[in-house]
Amino acid sequence: MKISTKFALVCSTAMIGTAAFGEAHMDTYTIGITQNNVGVDSYQTTYEQAFIAAAEANDNVEVVVLDAGGDVARQIAQMEDLIQQEVDAIIIWPTNGEAVIPAVRKASQADIPVIVTNSNIAEQGFDFVASFSGPDNITQGSRSAEIMCDRFKELGIEDEAQIVQISGQPGYTTAIERAKGFEDRLPEVCPNVTLMETQPGDWNREKSQQVMEAFLVKYDDIDGVYAGDDNMGVGALNAAKAADRAEGITFVGATNFAVGYEAMAAGEYWGSIYQSPVDDAEAALQTAIDILNGEDVPFLNYFDTPKITQDNMDEFEKPVF
Amino acid sequence: MAELTKKGVAGFLARQGILVAFVVFMIVFAIANPRFIDIDNIFGVIRSSAILGVMALGVTFVVIGGNLDLSVGSMMSFSTIVVLDLHDKIGPTLGIPVMFAMTMALGAFIGFLVGYLKLNSLIVTLGMLSAIHGLTLTYSGGKNMDIADKEGTWFGIFGQGSIAGVPVPIIMFALLAIVLSIILSRTPFGRKVYAVGGNGIAATFSGIPRARIVFMTYLMSSFCVATAGLIQASRSLGSQNTVGQGMELEVLAAVILGGASLLGGAGTIFKTVIGVLILGFIQNGLLLMGLAFYAQYVVTWIIIILAVWLDIAAKRGRLWSPIA
Repeated sequence: MKISTKFALVCSTAMIGTAAFGEAHMDTYTIGITQNNVGVDSYQTTYEQAFIAAAEANDNVEVVVLDAGGDVARQIAQMEDLIQQEVDAIIIWPTNGEAVIPAVRKASQADIPVIVTNSNIAEQGFDFVASFSGPDNITQGSRSAEIMCDRFKELGIEDEAQIVQISGQPGYTTAIERAKGFEDRLPEVCPNVTLMETQPGDWNREKSQQVMEAFLVKYDDIDGVYAGDDNMGVGALNAAKAADRAEGITFVGATNFAVGYEAMAAGEYWGSIYQSPVDDAEAALQTAIDILNGEDVPFLNYFDTPKITQDNMDEFEKPVF
Repeated sequence: MAELTKKGVAGFLARQGILVAFVVFMIVFAIANPRFIDIDNIFGVIRSSAILGVMALGVTFVVIGGNLDLSVGSMMSFSTIVVLDLHDKIGPTLGIPVMFAMTMALGAFIGFLVGYLKLNSLIVTLGMLSAIHGLTLTYSGGKNMDIADKEGTWFGIFGQGSIAGVPVPIIMFALLAIVLSIILSRTPFGRKVYAVGGNGIAATFSGIPRARIVFMTYLMSSFCVATAGLIQASRSLGSQNTVGQGMELEVLAAVILGGASLLGGAGTIFKTVIGVLILGFIQNGLLLMGLAFYAQYVVTWIIIILAVWLDIAAKRGRLWSPIA
């Protein structure tokens, strides 16, 4: 415990040094970021690399890059550190949408604009946030519904198709919003498609594979699977392949992963939503800079996440994660 | 004669209460959805449970020896990521033994700390839980690990193959269960594990090398973890860094559900297997019943408590007792 405290002290001291140096230049902004859990998945790893690269490419920006390691308490401490260092703006990727609100309020009271990135904080904290930069999960869900429906129309089964849904981790905003977007949009575009059941796959390929195995036992006829991300979608695909039933099933995911992209190229997986961590990181930094420049930035500053299917996948590069 | 039979039944119940609970649940689920006892479904569930099961076999040794192992979840992520990475770098034939060696080195390190330095196993393995997670992330650079050529490798047999219609993970789980059961119940080493866990000081004074026995239990646990990682990696031919996250508690639940004492000195491999199967079939049964998933967490807990209660009630010979 002692060692880590000392280490943190050394780190903060070093960072204060950097920050002070940064302020010596005119028109240079110091922007602090506290991330959720870098390294836990490739998306977050790529995000951090892209964020640093974008900051380095911009001479007017100095960044203090921190990572909470998924720990709420550490993230709150990092927020306080950044406030102490008097950075010009703070970008936060919340570890928890509720628990970080007091820290966000504190920054806002210290007149430091806070930009929330990737996943928003809970609504009661909106007053203290300058802008949210990230993907629109509801739109992603409804686009997945459209992809699914369009495919069923091509196959001529839009009036009888039966589907199942494998959602993300229960309680997680991204999971809830994607499911909502999908469930609201599907009956609008394909009113006769039945969503038979939804079960969570916890963003986990293995868990999703187990859920799909149970679905395959339970339902003799499954025409489509909507998964909250490609990782789970590929888990479901693996289960269907093992049961020799993958041929007749349309798989649609979200957050196109490299495995999903490959499965699409192999003709086994139909479509997904292309969400680039590079776009995500660059949008967050740009939002912070725009706010510091006094520009008008919408409160919900979404970056675009287009549809990707076997038909148009050539237009997209293979995701690095 | 009648009394003798009654005693025989009571004795069986007392010894195998958890087995009775298992059968009761199976019947209830089968009535709720007949597809539950479909042979494909049963094989599917056991195959899915095999990964948890293989890990639980090793942890049974550690727990009987009087210690805990909370590091198995992140250790499994580690071995999965390592074997997938080595598969593409040095090929599976060499990669698998290297992965086993690396995982068992971690087990040996834990065994050294707990066995020879006599550090508290809860603290050591809780620390290793995050330390090994960090090691995995460092090793992989935080990226998902996927085998590049998924069609052209034989590596999939451990997770996806089957011999005579029986999935390979089930065969590996069963074989390991039989071998470890024999080691635990029929060898001097096995008896020493019970002795060390039952009363470590008495065991030491009886000339049992306590440190070495504890060390060996962790080594065996890490061997089982490596096997689980192999099955996991082979099953999906790709993995996240967090694949085993949280499994340490499921493993422990299965071992305790099977009746191994957290204080050490009691438990059997057979009962751990039943514990694993109960957890696996509960999950699958609730899915097939189509219960809303928020409720599943609660119902899972209720079923586990019911199973433990049935087990204790069978030992007492009645459902409720004012004494104990």
